[in-house]
Amino acid sequence: MQDKLRRTIRGGLIVLMFLLSDLLVPLRPVCAGVPDRIVSLAPSITEILFAAGLGDRVVGVTTFCDHPEEARRRPKIGGMANPSLEAVVRLRPDIVVMTTDGNPREFKDRLQKLGIETYVFRERRLGELPEGIRKMGIALNAEKDFNALATRIEKALLRFEKEKVLHGEKVVFIIWPDPLIVAGAGTAISDAIGLLGGINIADTSGVRYPKYSIEELIRQSPDVIFIGKGHKDMKVLSERLLRRLRSVRAVKEERVFYVGDGLYRLGPRVIEGIEEMIRLLRQSK
Amino acid sequence: MMRIRLSLAVIFAMVVLVTALFIGPEPINPLHIKGIDKEILLSIRLPRVLVSVLMGMGLGASGAVLQGVLRNPLADPYILGLSSGAALMAVVGIISGLTFWGAFTVPLLAFIGALTTGVFVGAMGWKRGGFWPDRLLLAGVGLGFLFSAILMLIMTLSSDEGLRRATLWIFGDLSMTDWAFIPYGTIFILAGLLLSLSRAKALNALILGDELSHSLGFSPRRERLILFISIGLMTSASVSLGGMVGFIGLLIPHIGRFIIGPDSRGLIPLSALGGGVLLCIADLIGRSIIAPVELPAGIITAIIGAPYFLYLLRRRDILGT
Repeated sequence: MQDKLRRTIRGGLIVLMFLLSDLLVPLRPVCAGVPDRIVSLAPSITEILFAAGLGDRVVGVTTFCDHPEEARRRPKIGGMANPSLEAVVRLRPDIVVMTTDGNPREFKDRLQKLGIETYVFRERRLGELPEGIRKMGIALNAEKDFNALATRIEKALLRFEKEKVLHGEKVVFIIWPDPLIVAGAGTAISDAIGLLGGINIADTSGVRYPKYSIEELIRQSPDVIFIGKGHKDMKVLSERLLRRLRSVRAVKEERVFYVGDGLYRLGPRVIEGIEEMIRLLRQSK
Repeated sequence: MMRIRLSLAVIFAMVVLVTALFIGPEPINPLHIKGIDKEILLSIRLPRVLVSVLMGMGLGASGAVLQGVLRNPLADPYILGLSSGAALMAVVGIISGLTFWGAFTVPLLAFIGALTTGVFVGAMGWKRGGFWPDRLLLAGVGLGFLFSAILMLIMTLSSDEGLRRATLWIFGDLSMTDWAFIPYGTIFILAGLLLSLSRAKALNALILGDELSHSLGFSPRRERLILFISIGLMTSASVSLGGMVGFIGLLIPHIGRFIIGPDSRGLIPLSALGGGVLLCIADLIGRSIIAPVELPAGIITAIIGAPYFLYLLRRRDILGT
């Protein structure tokens, strides 16, 4: 009874927050027509823009924007945390698309003072991605393409949820083995683990990318370990860690998998990221 | 002689300032300014160059004053813990995402943090009606360690995206400077600078020791209080403008001493100019060298400043003994 009440209150709060956030950010096209010159301040944004077919209009990206291949050749405007104002202004963008997940807040104010339109992508969770893409489509006056992309992702997520390759197994996703950094609550990775029916042991930490205790990892003894192979010698680095984790169930049962960076960015490639996880889990069975 | 050298330094500073405006990631031709260049020049580069100069001036001058007040050549404005207080508040502001005053929130928080720390350190260093240099120093160091620890604690526990931004701020980052920062920065730094210049003679006496300064007609207690206030104003305002830029406060006064001698009347203005010029050049390099990626100015000041300092150290005797 109490649980139900708590859930209702939590649900109500979430709905209220959504309503409020929508009030604060009126949804309307920012320019008349599709903007011709778009600057993207985050790799995830760049990937969404290209996937929605606006790649040709992207005139500036960050130094981290490496997907798709074509994005690498676009003019660079600096990093995510330290984009260069001068470089952005010089590109004369119709709109700058940024994210609350990595861009400095002051940057939006500075751009607005200089008379440059901005759109801020605020969604953080896997489940919010389709909605976020739709909103971005409205702001960029390209609803049709963005809606199609959003629907594609939505359908894929529904399909993954139905497949349920995991059945309450404990999972940990290692971002970096030394020091041990794992994906915690509130990340797309954690959401994906939940979607597949697993339990992310780091969810309880309350931090998005906690530096995790090896002792706790051994105590929890997860059934599955994913290791992001973002880096070339990740296997060498991880082997040392895995030797220390010999007693962990996932290591004993050889359910340790190296996966790509699809889920690192809240963009269209989350689908590939989850598909890769499903494939690896199925193979091991 | 001192006048001529100071005038030369002013001219050099002006040249650097103008150069920093027109060269950058993309040079702008001063004789032929096109539409977008004008905007970049006026809204982005000019405030940034001015803030870098102001900040460098504050740090250089407060370093020169502090080394005299504490009679310690290793004193650095940051040793009083003001910067740790500023960093703590600024990082809290960045990570928690407070924006009650727009882009001005973080500098304001940093300024409040630095000033509060200054008052606290002052209170700890105060005994029997005056400041005790050693107590000031130890209070600053102790408080600095405490604040750094709390800062690290906050940064370890938070994985928010503010983290990278916070790290950049700690290294000294001028990329977000805005015209809004200039009036308040100018007021506090100039106030501190004028205050310390007006007491330059007294500072000369203080360096000779309390007894001698008494006999020269200066009350060491009173002078130390006034000078401490001027340091507090300059350091707090500087740190709040763009984070913790190292090196300038500690070593620019020594470089100044090589050039103009130990007389505070010349050393304070020269340290201010030297600090301003160095930070301006450092920021110019930081924003141009691997553009559009920007390097925090604090890293560059040390990379270009330290070798020059070591070279001077070999050539001359640093402590003048």
